[in-house]
Amino acid sequence: MWLPAVGLILGVALGFLFSVEIPLGYVKYTAIMILAAIDTILGGLRAQVEHRFDLTIFLSGFVVNAAFAALLAGIGDLLGLDIYLGAVIAFSIRIFDNVGFIRRDVLMRYLKSGR
Amino acid sequence: MAEAGSRGPTIEASRRSIRWQAALAVPLAVAGFLVVTQARTELLIKRTLRIPSSQLEELAFALREQERHRGALEGQVAVLRSRLADYERAAAEGRTAVARMNREMQDLRALAGLTALEGPGLTVTLNDSTRPPLPGEDPNKTILHYSDIAAVVSELWAAGAEAVTVNGERIVSTTGITCVGTTILCNTKRMAPPYVVAAIGDPAALQDYLRRPGGALDQLASFDFPVRLSVAPRVEIAPYRGTFRFEYAGSGAKE
Repeated sequence: MWLPAVGLILGVALGFLFSVEIPLGYVKYTAIMILAAIDTILGGLRAQVEHRFDLTIFLSGFVVNAAFAALLAGIGDLLGLDIYLGAVIAFSIRIFDNVGFIRRDVLMRYLKSGR
Repeated sequence: MAEAGSRGPTIEASRRSIRWQAALAVPLAVAGFLVVTQARTELLIKRTLRIPSSQLEELAFALREQERHRGALEGQVAVLRSRLADYERAAAEGRTAVARMNREMQDLRALAGLTALEGPGLTVTLNDSTRPPLPGEDPNKTILHYSDIAAVVSELWAAGAEAVTVNGERIVSTTGITCVGTTILCNTKRMAPPYVVAAIGDPAALQDYLRRPGGALDQLASFDFPVRLSVAPRVEIAPYRGTFRFEYAGSGAKE
């Protein structure tokens, strides 16, 4: 489990090292990207727990989901509508779904092994 | 997680695990980077502006609106300023024009003889001859004539006098010195001896010119008329009291 930790530390370190100021207009995109990343991480965890992890699906899901959410936000900006909220809600639902699945799975396994 | 007993599946499982971990590291790095960056931005905004960032867009819109409004007002100020400058320039031109005309008018009034003047100069006092006429002599020869006064006045002008009066009557452009009967007429005012001719000018020059041999005073003195010439450091010249009227003359086409 050290590689994900390295990745996280690397990202945090980069965030501290380079003082990138996100312009106000791109706050939506930041929110979407963060949600997409969390969704992808949880999706990957769930897939691993269910023994059906596939690298191609995982990475393509991350990229395509993020890109589509960004596109949605862009269209929303163009129309002056908060369409990106749709992406935010979809990501949030998936995140909670995945958290629920992982929780159940881990709990079941723990209870099973406990008996 | 490697539960399989054989070696092949174990390697395969560990490789899959590594791949999974590497794959998970990428979004974790992205999420970590974005969260830290966003948190720092938000902290910076809170620290410097003390406003939650959710209000910023609204405030930015208001600010842009105000800036546009301000730009319009600044344009208005510039227009008004330039107009004010125009008015001030026009007023200043008017003032200087008025001042110049005033000065010019003062000069013209002085030249016309409408103002009282004073300055260094001299006075010439003339009187009829005190000598009784000889028997058979024309008595006209013992009294002063208008031509004598006119000659003295003309000589004063010729000597560079700037203002002249005869018995307080200012000599102006329309002044004539004539006689009616036994009295001399100057500016329609009748005069009797003694005649005091006062002039402003360079006293030495005036005196030298009037005293020259063969001059009007020299001739009068040779006929035993009492002539007194006195230089004064301060001669007062009265203004012309009459009027200027042009009933027939109009200003010419050429100045």
